[in-house]
Amino acid sequence: MLKYIIKRTLWVIPTLVGVLIILFSLTYLMPGDPASIMLGPRATPELVEDLNKRMHLDRAMPVRLGYYLLGVAKGDLGTSVWSGHKVSSLIADALPHTILLAITSLGIAALIGILLGTFAAVRRESPIGGVVTIFSLLGVAVPDFVAALLLMLLFCVQIPLLPALGAGVEGDLVDIAVHLILPATALGIGWVGYLSRLNQESMLDVLDSDYIRTARAFAVPKRAIAYRYALKNAVIPSITVIGLGVGKLLGGAVFVEIIFSRPGLGKLIVDAVYARDFPVVQGGILVATILFVFANLIADISYAFVDPRIQYD
Amino acid sequence: MKTDTINQTKAGMKSTQLTLKRKWSDTLRVTLRSVVKVKGGLWGGIFVGIMLVCAIGAQWISPSDPNAQDIVHRFAGPSLKHFLGTDYLGRDILSRIIYGCRIAVMVAFGAVTLSAIVGVFLGVMGGYNEGKKIDYFIIWLFDIVRSFPQIILALAIVAVLGPSLLNVVFALAFTAFPFYGRLARAKTLSVKEADYVKAAEAMGLKRIKIILRHITPNILAPVIVCLGMDMATMIIWESGLSFLGLGVRPPTASWGIMLRNGYKYILTSPLMILWPSVAIAVAMVAFSLFSEGLRVALDPKERER
Repeated sequence: MLKYIIKRTLWVIPTLVGVLIILFSLTYLMPGDPASIMLGPRATPELVEDLNKRMHLDRAMPVRLGYYLLGVAKGDLGTSVWSGHKVSSLIADALPHTILLAITSLGIAALIGILLGTFAAVRRESPIGGVVTIFSLLGVAVPDFVAALLLMLLFCVQIPLLPALGAGVEGDLVDIAVHLILPATALGIGWVGYLSRLNQESMLDVLDSDYIRTARAFAVPKRAIAYRYALKNAVIPSITVIGLGVGKLLGGAVFVEIIFSRPGLGKLIVDAVYARDFPVVQGGILVATILFVFANLIADISYAFVDPRIQYD
Repeated sequence: MKTDTINQTKAGMKSTQLTLKRKWSDTLRVTLRSVVKVKGGLWGGIFVGIMLVCAIGAQWISPSDPNAQDIVHRFAGPSLKHFLGTDYLGRDILSRIIYGCRIAVMVAFGAVTLSAIVGVFLGVMGGYNEGKKIDYFIIWLFDIVRSFPQIILALAIVAVLGPSLLNVVFALAFTAFPFYGRLARAKTLSVKEADYVKAAEAMGLKRIKIILRHITPNILAPVIVCLGMDMATMIIWESGLSFLGLGVRPPTASWGIMLRNGYKYILTSPLMILWPSVAIAVAMVAFSLFSEGLRVALDPKERER
C-alpha cells in the first residue's frame, strides 16, 4: 500500500506540469492584447514595446512558456492587467471566501446526507426513506445555480429574510454566518440528496452481507451492528465521491458566488474573463485546479486506508 | 453431388449469418422496450421524447416567434395569448422555452457525442496498447484534463474561443472526453483478453480491424449509459455558461439566457426565473430517469432481476 501511496503522490507532478502547459496555451490563444488593455488607447508605441518587453510578450512561445513555468515555480503568478495588483494577493483575498463556502456546504451536506441515508437503511419502514427520495429528486432536478436563483427569489425578494448580496462585514461572525446560509444551501442541497441516496444503498448492501449476519447470530445489539460494524464500510463510497466532488463544488461556487456576489475565487475568475485579464484567469484556474488535484489525492489515499481489502499494484 | 452439399452448407452458413446479425433498428427497439419496463423509465422516456419533439419541431409547436417583441405587454403574467407570460421585452416565454429546448438538446447531444467519440477512440487505443508509451501518454492526457474543475475549464475555453454555439459544444466536449476515455480503456483491458479477440489475432486480422470489429462494439454498452447521464449534465452546463454570458449569443433563446434576464429583473418579475427553472428541472429528471432505465436495460445482471 505504501508503494501505491508514493506512486499516486508522485503522479501529481506530471499532471500539474500538463495543467500548466494547458493553462499557458489557453491564455496564449486568448484574444485581446494585454498592452492595449493596460495602457489604454493613447499609449505610444514605445510604451507598448517597453511593456511587452517587461512581460516577455515579444518572445517566442516556448521562451514565454519557460518564463511562465519559472514564475509559477517561484510562486509568482504575475500581475493583474487591470488593477496592477499581484495575482497571488488577489487570490489570497478571494480564496478564504470560497473555502469557507465549500467547507460549510459540503460539511453540512455530508453530515445530513450520511445520517439520513443511514437512518433510512436501518429503519426501512420509517418515513425517512421518503425524505431521502425527496432530497435526491431535488438534487437531480435543481442544479446549484438554479437553486441559488430560486432561493434568492424566495428568501430575499418574496420573503425578505436573508441578505442577498456580499459575504458580510469582515470580523462580524454573525453577519458572515447570515450571509453564508443561502449560498451554502444552494451549493449543498444537491449533495444532501446524492450522498443520502448513495449511503442508503451502500448501507443496505452492507447490512445484507455475511459478516453482519454472523454478528446478528452472536446477538450483538442492533445499534452496535448498524453503527459500529456496518457504517464503517458503508461510508466508503461517499468518501471517494466527496473527493471527486471538490471539483464540482468549485465549479458550482462560480455560479453561486456570481449570483450572491460573494468576492470568492469563482467570481474573481469570471470577472477576469469578462475583463480579459488573463494573468488573473490563469492564476485563479491554477489555484482551483491545485485544490482539486490535492483533494483527489487525499480521497484516493484515505480510500486505501479505509478499505484495506482493496489490492493495489 | 459434392458441390450440392457444399452449396447447401454455404446456404446454411449464409442463413445463420443472417439470423446472427441483428439489425440496428431491432436492437434499438428491444432496448427501448426494456427501458420502458424499468420503474420510472417510461416517464423518463416520455419526457425525453417530448423534449426531442420540441427540439426538432420548435418552429411548428411554439405559439409565436420567440424573438417577436410585444413591448406593450412586457412582464405580463400568464394569459390566453401568452400561456406563461412575457419577459422584459414582451417576448412569449413559452415559445422561448420551446426554442431553448432546441439549443439545450443540440448542445448537449453534440457535446456528449463528440466527447464520446474522441474518448472511446483514445481509450481503446490506450487499452489495446497497454503498457506502451502511447498508453502512458493517453493516461497522462486524461489525467491532466480531469484535473481541472470541469465547468471552470469549459468557461476558460469559451473565453478564449469566444461565445458561440459551436464553441460551447467544443468546450464541453473537451472537458468530458477523459471520462469516456477511462471507461473505454478499462473495458478494453478486459475485452482484449477474450477468446474471440485472441482468435482474431491468431487469424492475423489487422489491428485496426480487431479494434473496430471486435473490441469497440463490445465496450459500447457502458458508454451509452454514460451518454444518457451526461446529457443531463451538459444541459445544465449549457445553461450555466449561457447564464454567465459565455454560452450562446443573447437574442437566441436559451434557458440559461432566460435565467440571466430573470436574474436582472428578479425584483420585477419572478416568473422570468421560475419558468426556465421548471424547464431545467423537468429535463434533468427526464434524462436521469431515462438513463437509469437505460443502465438497467443494458446491464445483463440487472435485467435478470
